[in-house]
Amino acid sequence: MSAVNIWEKMLNVDRRWIFLGIGIVSIVPFLIGFGMPISTTIEVEGIFNFVNELGPDDAIFIGFDFAPGTQAENMPMAVAVMRHAFHNHTSVFMTAYVPLGKGMAVSALDYVTNPKTDGYYERVLYEDWVDYREAGITNKEDLTTAWESDGNVLPEGAVGWVFEGRDYVLLGYLPLFHLVILGMTGSIETQFPVDYHGNPIGDMPILMEHKSLRDVDLAVTTSGSSACVAWITYGREKIGLPIAFGVTGVMATDYFPYIQSGQIVGQMGGLRGAAEYEVLLKENGITRTTDKAFTGMDVQSAAHIFIILLIVMGNIAFFAGGFHKQTRLKGRR
Amino acid sequence: MKRTVPLMIVMVGGILMMVQYFIPHQYSQVIFNNYLEWAPIVGAFALILGVGSLTRLHTHKIRRKAQNWQYSWAVLIPLFGMPLFALIIPQSLGGGSDVHGVHDFLFMHIQVPIQSTMFSLLAFYIASAAFRAFRAKSALATILLLAAVIVMLGQVPIGDVLGKWLPNTGLWILRYPNLAAKRAIMLGVGFGMLATNLKIIFGVERNWLGGAGK
Repeated sequence: MSAVNIWEKMLNVDRRWIFLGIGIVSIVPFLIGFGMPISTTIEVEGIFNFVNELGPDDAIFIGFDFAPGTQAENMPMAVAVMRHAFHNHTSVFMTAYVPLGKGMAVSALDYVTNPKTDGYYERVLYEDWVDYREAGITNKEDLTTAWESDGNVLPEGAVGWVFEGRDYVLLGYLPLFHLVILGMTGSIETQFPVDYHGNPIGDMPILMEHKSLRDVDLAVTTSGSSACVAWITYGREKIGLPIAFGVTGVMATDYFPYIQSGQIVGQMGGLRGAAEYEVLLKENGITRTTDKAFTGMDVQSAAHIFIILLIVMGNIAFFAGGFHKQTRLKGRR
Repeated sequence: MKRTVPLMIVMVGGILMMVQYFIPHQYSQVIFNNYLEWAPIVGAFALILGVGSLTRLHTHKIRRKAQNWQYSWAVLIPLFGMPLFALIIPQSLGGGSDVHGVHDFLFMHIQVPIQSTMFSLLAFYIASAAFRAFRAKSALATILLLAAVIVMLGQVPIGDVLGKWLPNTGLWILRYPNLAAKRAIMLGVGFGMLATNLKIIFGVERNWLGGAGK
């Protein structure tokens, strides 16, 4: 067998071997868990610092503007920001730009309030605290005190209460969402008369304190498409609403101009961005541990190294075999 | 008539909304609010039209036993099944907004895994394509390849372990050369969209009519 044939054989390797390699490097790091340290960037710190400055009188929007296809990247971002806001008692509105985003919002909320999640929040449904609302107790501190003085005990492992209609509201999806953003600049209630569960939102304390996007302090759009730009076009440019992006890794390069121009306060790019936010949460004592994005970064490290090795091997075979002098390769690809 | 009426609607509507944006008057706001109410209604009718067309297309395929007609069932059954479980069948059986029923089950255990799997396949094909196509054939291709390798390593924790210069250089590439190129592209696209929109509003560009009235 001549040397050229070896290089040609290498270049024409059955791609199922490559698929197998990617499969192995994607699974093994999950089992071993290297836990390599992650440094944070100013793009993610910008969002973290902004949310960190907010308090009980403030509110943020989290846009679940992605479908399940990109949830591995987008979901940890939304979860991290939600936990941060809940920790600061900042109210959270949840919306979806795409129909399937509504299901993603439900999943994120379920995860943050699931007793199996480390440092979860105990959820109090809207109908469960109706007596307190009718008694005029809507301030977070007073509400928690009154709720606990009535014998409600925070379960073991939970780090706080979150009251539906006070700490969060799930608004869901509406068609032509860019028009919904425009409409919410005037009134949130006109666009969403009821929440996801059919509760009239006009009676909710969160709406009484934040009637339109003008009363909202930040909108974080976690997006797997260019839908995130609508928040800038119709939210930022019309009323000056501060915007933050959480986008997939392949999209992240597209939106650097918005950071430099100051149109967004920061950007979480791909799983790396989410992992950085998790690191910041842990370093600042907001969560005890990092979460899924941080774990996933070991997989990304291994996969990137593997792909780079493939590129190097492909180039060695290409040049050593003298294929750069030929117009096309022979054989099966 | 088939051409003139749509052209007039687009021209009047386009100019009105363009001017409205710059006039902060009460009447201007009334027009804007009316538009916000009307647009989703028009959109809802477009949805009916879309579902109707899709249903007609696939029922015809099934009736005629056209090539791969079996897949048309895979379109039609979920198309009507999911709304049925979510809206029509009682919540205790079908699920709905706050009861974990059939609708939620179908979403969480079929739709979510299917979409995630489809997107995950990208990693496998990217690896295969990188091996076969990413070649340092010219000076520009070599620069692209080096930039890609630096950014790839800089974006993952192992980059920090290999040397602090890797993530720093990767971020520099993203923050400066990448930003400049993206801004140039965005400006070009923006001006192109502006020109095309003006051409549509003033009736110069008529392809969107799809040959109506000819």
